Amino acid sequence: MSSRRPYVESPVIMATVRLVAPFVLTYGIFVTLHGASSPGGGFQGGVIAAAVIIMLSFAYGIDLTWEWIDKRVLVGLVGGGVALFGAIALGAVLFGGQFLEVGVYPIPEPDKYGIELVEVGIGMTVAGVVTSLFFTLARGAMPPVGEDGESGRDDEGTAATDGGTFSSEAPGSEETGGDGPVRDGPDAPEGGDRA
Amino acid sequence: MITPIEAGLLVFIVATAVMTALLRDVLAAIIVFGGYSLGMAILWIVLQAPDVGLTEAAVGAGVMTVLFLATIARTTRLTGLEATTVDVNLPAAALCVVFVLAVLTTVPALPAVGAGPGENPAFGEISEYYVEEAYDDTHVENVVTAVLVAYRGFDTFGEATVVFAAGVGVLAVLRRGVFE
Amino acid sequence: MIEALFARYNYVVFALLLGIGLYIVIDDENLVKKVIGLNVFQTGIFLFFITVAVQDGAEPAVTSTGEGTFVNPLPHVLILTAIVVGVSLTALALALVVRIHEEYGSIREDVVVEVLERD
Repeated sequence: MSSRRPYVESPVIMATVRLVAPFVLTYGIFVTLHGASSPGGGFQGGVIAAAVIIMLSFAYGIDLTWEWIDKRVLVGLVGGGVALFGAIALGAVLFGGQFLEVGVYPIPEPDKYGIELVEVGIGMTVAGVVTSLFFTLARGAMPPVGEDGESGRDDEGTAATDGGTFSSEAPGSEETGGDGPVRDGPDAPEGGDRA
Repeated sequence: MITPIEAGLLVFIVATAVMTALLRDVLAAIIVFGGYSLGMAILWIVLQAPDVGLTEAAVGAGVMTVLFLATIARTTRLTGLEATTVDVNLPAAALCVVFVLAVLTTVPALPAVGAGPGENPAFGEISEYYVEEAYDDTHVENVVTAVLVAYRGFDTFGEATVVFAAGVGVLAVLRRGVFE
Repeated sequence: MIEALFARYNYVVFALLLGIGLYIVIDDENLVKKVIGLNVFQTGIFLFFITVAVQDGAEPAVTSTGEGTFVNPLPHVLILTAIVVGVSLTALALALVVRIHEEYGSIREDVVVEVLERD
C-alpha cells in the first residue's frame, strides 16, 4: 500500500465526464444504427457505448460504478444481443426463407431493417461483454481512499498482511483460489515482479 | 507512391513497437502500446478503411489499454515510469531477424501497394460483385456492413458467439461472483 | 530487390511488426508483455490485409450505384471482426495472467517456472 498512490477524486475529471458521457453514449448508439449508410456498425458502436461506462469508472471509482450498475441490464445485454441475432436469423425460417435470409420479413425494406436489427444485436453483446470484461479484470484494482474494506472484496484486509513477498512464500501456492485468505490482494507487496 | 503522412505514420508505428519491446517498465510499455494502436487507427483511415479505423481507435487505443492497465494494477506494484530498457537477448533477436528476412523474401512476390485490378489478385470478380450489387441486394450503402451482416452473416454470427464465449470464459477463469 | 521492397513499403512494415511481436513473445519474461507482443504480431497481420485491399485513388466502399473506384470491402470485414474477437481473447489471456498471479504470486515466467520446479 505504501508505494501505491491512492485514488483521488478530481472535480475536473468528474465534471468533464459528466458533461461528455451523454454525447459519447449518443454517438455510440448513432454509430450502431447508422452503420448501413456510413462507416460504423454494431462492433464499433458497442465498444463506444461500453467506453462510457469505463470513463465513468475512472472518474467516480471502479467499485462505486460497479455498485451503481444494474447487473440484470448487463446480463440482458450480453445474452439478449446474441439471442436477438439468433432470433432474427431463425425467424426468417418461419417466414419461409432460409437461415439469416432477412429479406423475407413482411415489413417495408426488410433487408435494410433486418440488417439494422442484427447490428443492434451485435452492439448489445459487444457493449455488455466489454463492460463485464472490464469490471471482472479491474474490480479491486483501484480501492477508494482510506476505505480498504469497502471495495467489495471481503478478503482484502487479510491479503494485505498475509500476502507477503514472493521470496518468503509463494502466496496461494497451497490455496486453490476459492476462499483462501491470499486470493489476489491488490495491495499485496510484490517482490519477484520487477527485477 | 508513398505519401509523407503514410511514411510518418509507418515510422511512428515501428518506433513505438520497438519501444514497447525494449521498455522494462510494463506501465510504460502499455502506454507506448496505446500510442502504437492510435497510430494504427490513423493509418487505417489513411488507407481508406474508416470502419476498421473506428474499431481500432475504440478497441485498440481505448479498451485494450484500459484492460492492460487494470491487469497490472491488480498484479504488480505501480512505481511510476522507469525509462530503463531491457537487455537485448541476442540469440532471440537473431532468430527474429532471420524470421523477418524470411518473410521479406516473399514480399517482392506480392502486388505493389495501391495496385488495382489486374495486378492485384485481391481485386477479382467477388470484390466487384460486392461493390456493384450490394445496394441492389440489401439496400445498404455501406458495403462493409452489407458484407458483414448479409453476405457473411454466418461468419458474423460465429464472431458474436466468440465474443460472448470469451466473456463467459473470463468469468469462469476468475471465478469471482460477478453477478452476486 | 530494394526497389521492389520500396514499392511494397507496407509489407516491409508488416514483416518488421511480425518480427518485433515475435521477439516480445519469445524473449520477455513478463506475461503481460507477452500478451502485448501477441497484439503487435496480430496488428502486423491486420496491416497486411488492409494493404491488400487498397488501390490508388480508391474511396471507402460506401455507394448506392457501384460506380467509381473503391477499396476491396472484404478484407475490411475480416479485420473488423478480428479486432473485436482479438480484444475478447486478449481479455481472456489477461484473466489467465491474473489467475497465474493468484496462484504463483508473480507474472514473470521465470519465477512461475521456479515455483513449479520447487513444488
